[in-house]
Amino acid sequence: MSSHTASSSNGGNGSGDSGVPKRNSKRPKYSKFTQQELPACKPILTPRWVVSAFLLVAIVFIPIGIACLIGSRDVVEVVERYETKCIPVLNRTDKVQFIQSAADKTCRISMTIPKRMKQPIYVYYQLDNFYQNHRRYVKSRSDEQLKSASKENDTSACKPEDIANGRGAIVPCGLIAWSLFNDTYSFSRQNQSLTVNKMGIAWKSDKQKRFGKNVFPKNFQGGGLVGGATLNESIPLSEQEDLMVWMRTAALPTFRKLYGKIEVDLEEKEVINVTLMNYYNTYSFNGKKKLVLSTTSWIGGRNDFLGIAYLTVGMICFALSMGFTIVYFVKPRLAFYGDLATLPSYHGTEVLDRTKNVHGILLMFKAHPSLPIGTEALHHFGTSLLIVTLMSMECLKHDIDSGRILMV
Amino acid sequence: MSGGWERLRGSRSRTTHDSSFHTPAPSRTVTLGRVQPQAPGHRTIYCNDREANLPVRFKGNSISTTKYNFLTFLPKGLFEQFRRVANCYFLLISILSMTPISPVNPVTNVVPLSLVLLVSLIKEAFEDWVSVIHGCIGLQALPFDSSFAIKRFQNDMVINNTLIDVLQNEKWVALPWKKLQVGDIIRVKQDAFFPADLLFLASTNADGVCYIETANLDGETNLKIRKALERTWDYLTPDKATEFKGEIQCEQPNNSLYTFTGNLIFQKQTLPLSPNQILLRGCSLRNTEYIVGAVIFTGHETKVMMNSMNVPSKRSTLERKLDKLILALFATLFIMCLIGAIGSGIFINRKYYYLSLDKAVATEFNPSNRFAVAALTLFTLITLYSTIIPISLYVSIEMIKFIQSTQFINKDLHMYHAETNTPALARTSNLNEELGQVEYIFSDKTGTLTRNLMEFFKCSIGGEVYGSGVTEIELGGAQRNGIKVQEVRKSSTAIHEKGFNFDDHRLMRGAWRNEPNFDTCKDRAFVLSIFIRNYLLKTVLLVLVAGTLIIMEFFRCLAICHTVLPEGDESPEKITYQAASPDEAALVTAAKNFGFFFYRRTPTMIHVRESHVEKMGKIQDVAYEILNVLEFNSTRKRQSVVCRYPNGRLVLYCKGADTVIYERLAGGNDDLKKVTRAHLEQFGSAGLRTLCLAYRDLSPDTYESWNEKFIQAKSSLRDREKKLDEVAELVERDLILIGSTAIEDKLQEGVPACIETLFRAGIKVWVLTGDKMETAINIAYACNLINNDMKQFIISSETDAIREVENRGDQVEIARFIKEEVKKELKKCLEEAQHYLRTVSGPKLALVIDGKCLMYALDPTLRVMLLNLSLNCHSVVCCRVSPLQKAQVTSLVKKGARKITLSIGDGANDVSMIQAAHIGVGISGLEGMQAVMASDFAIAQFRFLTDLLLVHGRWSYLRICKVITYFFYKNLTFTLTQFWFTFQTGFSGQRFYDDWFQSLYNVIFTALPVIIVGLFDKDVSASLSKKYPELYKEGIRNVFFKWRVVITWAWSSVYQSLVFYHFVTTSSASGKNSSGKIFGLWDVSTMAFTCVVITVNLRLLMMCNSITRWHYISVGGSILAWFLFIFVYSVLRENVFFVIFVLMSTIYFYLSVLLVPIVALLGDFIYQGIQRCFFPYDYQIIQEIHRHEPDDNTRAGLLDVGSQLTPQEERSYAISQLPRELSKHTGFAFDSPGYESFFAAQLGVYAPQKAWDVARRASMKSKPKTPKRN
Repeated sequence: MSSHTASSSNGGNGSGDSGVPKRNSKRPKYSKFTQQELPACKPILTPRWVVSAFLLVAIVFIPIGIACLIGSRDVVEVVERYETKCIPVLNRTDKVQFIQSAADKTCRISMTIPKRMKQPIYVYYQLDNFYQNHRRYVKSRSDEQLKSASKENDTSACKPEDIANGRGAIVPCGLIAWSLFNDTYSFSRQNQSLTVNKMGIAWKSDKQKRFGKNVFPKNFQGGGLVGGATLNESIPLSEQEDLMVWMRTAALPTFRKLYGKIEVDLEEKEVINVTLMNYYNTYSFNGKKKLVLSTTSWIGGRNDFLGIAYLTVGMICFALSMGFTIVYFVKPRLAFYGDLATLPSYHGTEVLDRTKNVHGILLMFKAHPSLPIGTEALHHFGTSLLIVTLMSMECLKHDIDSGRILMV
Repeated sequence: MSGGWERLRGSRSRTTHDSSFHTPAPSRTVTLGRVQPQAPGHRTIYCNDREANLPVRFKGNSISTTKYNFLTFLPKGLFEQFRRVANCYFLLISILSMTPISPVNPVTNVVPLSLVLLVSLIKEAFEDWVSVIHGCIGLQALPFDSSFAIKRFQNDMVINNTLIDVLQNEKWVALPWKKLQVGDIIRVKQDAFFPADLLFLASTNADGVCYIETANLDGETNLKIRKALERTWDYLTPDKATEFKGEIQCEQPNNSLYTFTGNLIFQKQTLPLSPNQILLRGCSLRNTEYIVGAVIFTGHETKVMMNSMNVPSKRSTLERKLDKLILALFATLFIMCLIGAIGSGIFINRKYYYLSLDKAVATEFNPSNRFAVAALTLFTLITLYSTIIPISLYVSIEMIKFIQSTQFINKDLHMYHAETNTPALARTSNLNEELGQVEYIFSDKTGTLTRNLMEFFKCSIGGEVYGSGVTEIELGGAQRNGIKVQEVRKSSTAIHEKGFNFDDHRLMRGAWRNEPNFDTCKDRAFVLSIFIRNYLLKTVLLVLVAGTLIIMEFFRCLAICHTVLPEGDESPEKITYQAASPDEAALVTAAKNFGFFFYRRTPTMIHVRESHVEKMGKIQDVAYEILNVLEFNSTRKRQSVVCRYPNGRLVLYCKGADTVIYERLAGGNDDLKKVTRAHLEQFGSAGLRTLCLAYRDLSPDTYESWNEKFIQAKSSLRDREKKLDEVAELVERDLILIGSTAIEDKLQEGVPACIETLFRAGIKVWVLTGDKMETAINIAYACNLINNDMKQFIISSETDAIREVENRGDQVEIARFIKEEVKKELKKCLEEAQHYLRTVSGPKLALVIDGKCLMYALDPTLRVMLLNLSLNCHSVVCCRVSPLQKAQVTSLVKKGARKITLSIGDGANDVSMIQAAHIGVGISGLEGMQAVMASDFAIAQFRFLTDLLLVHGRWSYLRICKVITYFFYKNLTFTLTQFWFTFQTGFSGQRFYDDWFQSLYNVIFTALPVIIVGLFDKDVSASLSKKYPELYKEGIRNVFFKWRVVITWAWSSVYQSLVFYHFVTTSSASGKNSSGKIFGLWDVSTMAFTCVVITVNLRLLMMCNSITRWHYISVGGSILAWFLFIFVYSVLRENVFFVIFVLMSTIYFYLSVLLVPIVALLGDFIYQGIQRCFFPYDYQIIQEIHRHEPDDNTRAGLLDVGSQLTPQEERSYAISQLPRELSKHTGFAFDSPGYESFFAAQLGVYAPQKAWDVARRASMKSKPKTPKRN
């Protein structure tokens, strides 16, 4: 096709030029681009397509949703909220005062395992109402300093936790590190303690690239106020996985952080005793603290959201496809039915102007009395039209009297 | 020789030379066709004396047509850019983001701004240096202009350095043009261009004439004669020229190409100067060895440069609506920021000890001053949400429109007119989408609806009609009335050449000599006629003679009374006539065919080869001496020539509009007048253009006394034209009517079909013409504008009542009376129209109004009524309107009805209308440049409007709407996700996305696909667009860019942003891989951003009606670009360190990338499905009807047009092969009052203008001057 058009357009050009050999023809050159005839596919969202698309989504999504839900339900999760529990009853009127005091903060709670938990069992702490994503908080860190020892003094972003009085830069500096979570948990079952493996809780990239192997904590928590945990100054930052976890700031004010792993299976109905040191102050801002034990599946931790979302969307799409199908059969639109343009005296105007529905067609008949309103037309419009036409007759009595659509 | 010529500058508003232009002239913003008010004062130039001229400090002769030069480009270009509010806004935001209160790195705002500025500047530079010529002026004179692009800057350099001979130290010294100064004496050789505006002193030709070509000025390729003052003829050689010490006093530089007033004070004599002695820069010398001239105006003060057009740039209605949208976005932005700011004021609290708020904390977080916190957060949030304003929108739209106009409109083969070799030309790219919303078209008649191809068709001589042809209009009328008209076979005597389509055996081939013409005889048409009347029956011979004599007068009038230049061989077959108007050429051609062959014109003589009856068919060359030419202009509406026969008879021949001629006829002869008037009406109703011919014998005494007054008027410096008119009035009286001519004005090809199509598209076509009411109505009939089923309202000033009042002559009374009449008429028509509108199937309405009534109807008190009436009418014809009224009517509809208007015309008289309308379209090709220069689009044929509006306009509208709404959507969606995040960060203004994500979102990840849509989206093919013109109505109703549409998109944005934000954050809450690790903020945000980029790009595909591979490439490319970017970036940057690797190591990532975009798009998909099923747009119905048809049928149709020429097309094609000789002056309709006398002054140049020329003749008759060589 293209070669044909090209040659013939050249021919046209030639004939234009032959008479004026010397004159420069300004005839634009033919190209599919300038003539806006680039080959294109023209997707038309017919009901058939709509229904198919919905069905396809439904078919794909429902299984995925079920799979996700199953994956999520495989996960066993035990959550224990402890921020109030772990304050002695007497101190509960002024929790902040208690947590800031030097009193013993050891607290014992127990958790019952609802279902067998296969190792590894992940231990999370969950904080609430803690704005790790606050602008002042997020930027209060120095990634340069964390990465290499030479950039130790690169603390400009860390204010006010940048420099310890007279002792040089704080490593790691900034509010994030300063407010490092410092509750600790130790687990036991039947008086037999369970080891919590604190290794491998941070992302590998953090460990390898973001926290330097030769960067050691310095002057940390040395200022007036202690915000949270202290760090062992002899362990390089690349080994301080708690810090890494903490410093991967959470997106939302409610967040979980990985604390460690228990690498033994826990049986159903087993009671786990947790001895926790309730140091961390969430009481100032009424934050909740939760301890979470959770297994994982292929999908990760317990989160039904994806599964439910997939399932719901799949169902909705299925319903919609059904709905569209029904509508498609019950009240079809004209243009899908017949080729109006082939009608003898079709002018397009009326259909396009006013008739997006059946009543409009009647208007068209009014405007074009010469339209063959007989079996042919009915064939074109489908029988459903006839019914609606008859129903609309009342309002068109005038026309019927004038004999224009009497045949209908 | 430099071929390149200074082009009259393009249409875009340019403030270019203002700074370097210090003439007293008020402004350089000059439009061709509107003569600038003249600056007061004179300019005195001392020729050949550089020192004397020095104190005045005239401008140099170098020119610069570029907008920028090396030094000014950056500052000037940047200044231009920052005149845009959006750019200014982003500059502000960028500055804000440098401050500590900013949550984002400055890069977020600086990068997109600089990219946008860069692109805009590159585009500016491209347009300036390698520019598409917007005007056509200069096209013919650009030998190296093989493509349309010329390098302006280079071109300027070439021009400025062209060498020219300047007189220095009694020698011709070659200097570059730019060194030229006012007062210099220079020599210009044959075929060279004049370097400045010159006073013509001497020429190598005899009689001190030279020939010039003015193609650069007005597009006319015919040669024009200029004639030096006789006193300066001698200063041809360097030694002689050195002696020339004249003083020129002349007007200040101005832009009027065809006027010049000045005096040459020379040898203590004051000699008046006229345009006849002025050689303008831009013209070139032809057929003359060389000329010597003195420089008067230089450089940018030359008339051609002062005509550089600065058409005030028009903005499209859509763009103005876009401004409102942007304002709405600003409001949204402010509300969002306010919410955030209030939130932050409330949130901030010392209890969040981990934020360390109790130490000396910056004001922006200081809980003890919550108000300050809120205020500062407001600014913070403004920088954060700045992406809500689509920064790249304007530049994208500009690029899209630029490509649309230069690549699509200019290169559309459907709009290429092979016969005149003219493609369409978009002179501005601002108005593409406006073309898709036009509701009213105002069209000129002559040259626009009709071809300006004038053919002598009929005539009435001495009360007898000659000519057997039947016009198409008559045919059409007959067919409408059911009469079948047989096409008359052309007899063997029929001669059909250009301008002559006449057949009558009584006149052809000299047969007129036997034509007794008794009818004539009973009218006293000739001196003899008194005698004849008395002895009518006695002397048949005399009758015969008298009859033929009046016919001879008729032919002589045709052969003598004109301003036509013959060109080429002096044989009837080969000669061509250069005429200012095709009517004139047709008349002279007619005379030729009747045996009065005008073959040579000298400045003083007209040579006619006559076949005299006395000589019994022998051929005799007769030379008529032309004594005076009284030129045509629109007030005079007539043209006269005083000539002296070889036998000494002095005759004034006059031709002009019937009204003015009849006023000046001698008394008596009522029968002839009546009969001729009847014939005139008959011709008029047949759509023919008529002229009355008359003559008057002058006695030598009368002539001499009149001539003295004429000379005086001619040499007056002030009000010369007015005085000339008054003097002419003295001699143009007591005329004797000869008869009338009728010229056919052929309809352009495809006009009726085009108008029919436009009607169906919901466009109303109004014809505004200077023609007579009858002609106008008939053309309207022929064009399908009016038909017999329509109810016509005719408001005419030609009623008896008005005439009666007019005869009384009291101007105040006339005005009052006509106004009353018009008011009455309007009221009546309006009531009637409303009555018809109430009935369901009433007839369509048509309004015909003439210029005089229109003048009163446009009165503020009646305007509303006129508007109401005319808007209810299907078609409106305004006849006898002046150019000003054309513009008034246009702006009445434009401003009064707030509808989008388009004016189309081809002549100088349409310029004001073209400029008044939203869109001005000029007809290019055969015609002149005036309309094209003022227009926004130039097309060769009226019928191309179908393509321009229904195809290009509609598509552009659709595309631009899509582009705008899409930009709106994508930026709103993106910003809203950020907004939702703000709520969960304690309103701190923490950014959700990384700086670079945010800055590249607009300019990289979502930039290209939308441009592709703006270029390629196509709902239905071009042929379907034309097959279903009704689709156009969607544009008129502005269906695709209503607030409703915008709100729909806004809802979609809200929905999608909620989906992005909540789906991504909620699902990320728990451990995200099997090793239980948890995502941080940047993981989540990168996830969300990935979803946004994918969704937004896919959403674009969803809104496409046609998807080319460019769509796939750009959409796929954008998504790919994001991934490439994030892979590279996450290795480099600390925030998002390895984020993408972290993400991609989880199954969650893949599940989300599948889920979130689909859920986000689901809402839109459902909306589209429902909309399409239940509330379809018109175009969607057409799409479905034709969904199985291939799109390629357009080419076939195009080829048909191209290869198969109808006989008629072949004929006009053949005509187009003739040397271009039609002038710019559209149908220089003598009978129309509508035409400006724009070129009137020019028309006189062929004949000696100066009275003293006549006086001189006695002594100097044809004494050829032998030029002295140096």
